[in-house]
Amino acid sequence: MGIQIKNLVKRFGSLTVVNDISVDIKDGEFFTLLGSSGCGKTTTLRMIAGLETPSEGKVFIHGKDVTYAEPRHRDIAMAFQDYGLYPNMSVFENIEFPLKIRKMPEAERRKKVEETAGTLGIGDYLGRKPAQMSGGQRQRVSLARALVRNPKVFLMDEPLSNLDAKLRAVMRTEIRRLVTEQGITTVYVTHDQIEAMSMADRIAVMYKGDMVQVAPPLEIYDRPATRFVADFIGSPPMNLFSAELSKGGRVVCQIQEFGQALDETERHRATQMADQHGHFSVGVRPEHLQCVAAGTAGSAEAIVELVEPLGQTTNIYLLSGDQRYIVVTDRTTVEAGDTIGVIAPREHVRAVARDR
Amino acid sequence: MSKPKTLRPVLQGLGAYALAILATLFFAFPVFWMASSSLKSELDISQYPPVFTSFEPSLVNYAELFTQLDALDAFINSAVIVAMATSLAMICGTMAAYALARFDMKGKEVMAFEVLSIRMLPPIVSVIPMFIIARTLGIFDTYWLLAAAYGLAGLPFVVWVMRVFIQDIPQSIEEAAMIDGCSRFETFWRVTLPLLLPGLAATMVIVFMFSWNEFLLASMLTSQEAKTLPVIAANAIKPKSIAWGLASAAGVMMSLPVVVLVLLMQRYLVRGLTLGAVKG
Repeated sequence: MGIQIKNLVKRFGSLTVVNDISVDIKDGEFFTLLGSSGCGKTTTLRMIAGLETPSEGKVFIHGKDVTYAEPRHRDIAMAFQDYGLYPNMSVFENIEFPLKIRKMPEAERRKKVEETAGTLGIGDYLGRKPAQMSGGQRQRVSLARALVRNPKVFLMDEPLSNLDAKLRAVMRTEIRRLVTEQGITTVYVTHDQIEAMSMADRIAVMYKGDMVQVAPPLEIYDRPATRFVADFIGSPPMNLFSAELSKGGRVVCQIQEFGQALDETERHRATQMADQHGHFSVGVRPEHLQCVAAGTAGSAEAIVELVEPLGQTTNIYLLSGDQRYIVVTDRTTVEAGDTIGVIAPREHVRAVARDR
Repeated sequence: MSKPKTLRPVLQGLGAYALAILATLFFAFPVFWMASSSLKSELDISQYPPVFTSFEPSLVNYAELFTQLDALDAFINSAVIVAMATSLAMICGTMAAYALARFDMKGKEVMAFEVLSIRMLPPIVSVIPMFIIARTLGIFDTYWLLAAAYGLAGLPFVVWVMRVFIQDIPQSIEEAAMIDGCSRFETFWRVTLPLLLPGLAATMVIVFMFSWNEFLLASMLTSQEAKTLPVIAANAIKPKSIAWGLASAAGVMMSLPVVVLVLLMQRYLVRGLTLGAVKG
């Protein structure tokens, strides 16, 4: 077992930042904590690292209770958003530092540093100071410093958020390749859903201190547990329509045609997740809705408000009653002002719980 | 046509230089006057109109300084006392500042204010209590008393200034060190301290200068054994007249160590004094 978190709570004064979360992270797993700022994801990571003491609960790394252990006794490595490089040391000394602290002999140290720097493509910059390097190179140095001692656990706190979009995409694949090759258990904090989706084995979506859903990326995408997850993942996000479960088990939806498209399984899930008033949401991804001629059987009538051609796909902004939503299709002849029909295919309609 | 265009910046540059030279002269003249007076005879000093360069330089004043006023003893006293006081203030102050900057403590702000409040008291108020305490402890007219007094006086300044310097160091650098395997103390020693050097140098020079030039406490809390340089320099003021030459020689001798220190620390000082202003 890699990392175990049990009933972890963190309070700052009267503010509860992390609210009783428990999760098991498997050995060698790439685990991502995803959420908007202030959701408690970084605090959770810092408690795993030992930089923050939990108010309640326990943290185990490889079966050992490290809840109150100092960071240096946890055998972890960490990459920071602002890199956390030692500005007065050269790149070589930066990467060498953890080995030096561990009193590794000098020759061996030099070999390891050069090897790791080579892997990360910064072998030519060993004599430079961090200030003489670009953001991407600095992040490579911080990764090298983390990887140089073959850690069992690698914690990353938004390591790519200070880089430009293109570099971010490159580093994403590189990080993923490096940690997978070495079989390192990784906990990766990000607010970027694309990073989470593309890198993670499993994503934990956090919202206001709670872990609302823990699942593999595609499951999070296909079956978001709550409104927040549905809204947070995917761009444009999932269309959500308020719905209510009446006493007889009938579903009343804002757009009735979509509510009726819920299949047996989803209907059953709805009965389990609806709140005490029977409220829940019906969700359909924009790319799953189909535009048809107005009046087609089973379709909801909608007015086209705006058509946004993006080249590869086209976003169609629709209005049904007072509900706005989006359909993503291939190229289309539909124009703003048209009245069309929209069909929600049975296999793609989901029941989504409201947020607590 | 092009003449005024090119002339203007030149004139502006000249103006700036002229101003800079004037300002330099204004500040440098007293120093020059002190240094030259220390090499003049009593007669040359009292000449009117004053002589600037046309005098026979002599080291009489310096000789007198060492024979009549025991300047060597005083110099050693000053050096020992100021060294002890500065180390005390720097070591304790920096550690306190670190705690105030980094640790989660209750009543942190109150504590920081409390430390500063010593500075709000006029020093003269504390002279009599200190005198009584010193007598009781039997440390009157010893190094220990002045060293402690100067150390305590410098401490609040060190705490407040170093706290800001420490807060300017990104926390993630220290956290990286702790993850890399350092204990809290190792982190401070190997990572934080080297980054603090400019700040430490700037603060140290100021604490040093304060203790080195302090007169009030030194004159009240010493009698023979632990007399410092400012005290003997004041002896140049004799009941009937002021021995200007002697006073100037004492002044030069007192300034020298400060000048040397500042020159030694210059590399750090410039960075330290501007560190807060220019980030990154």
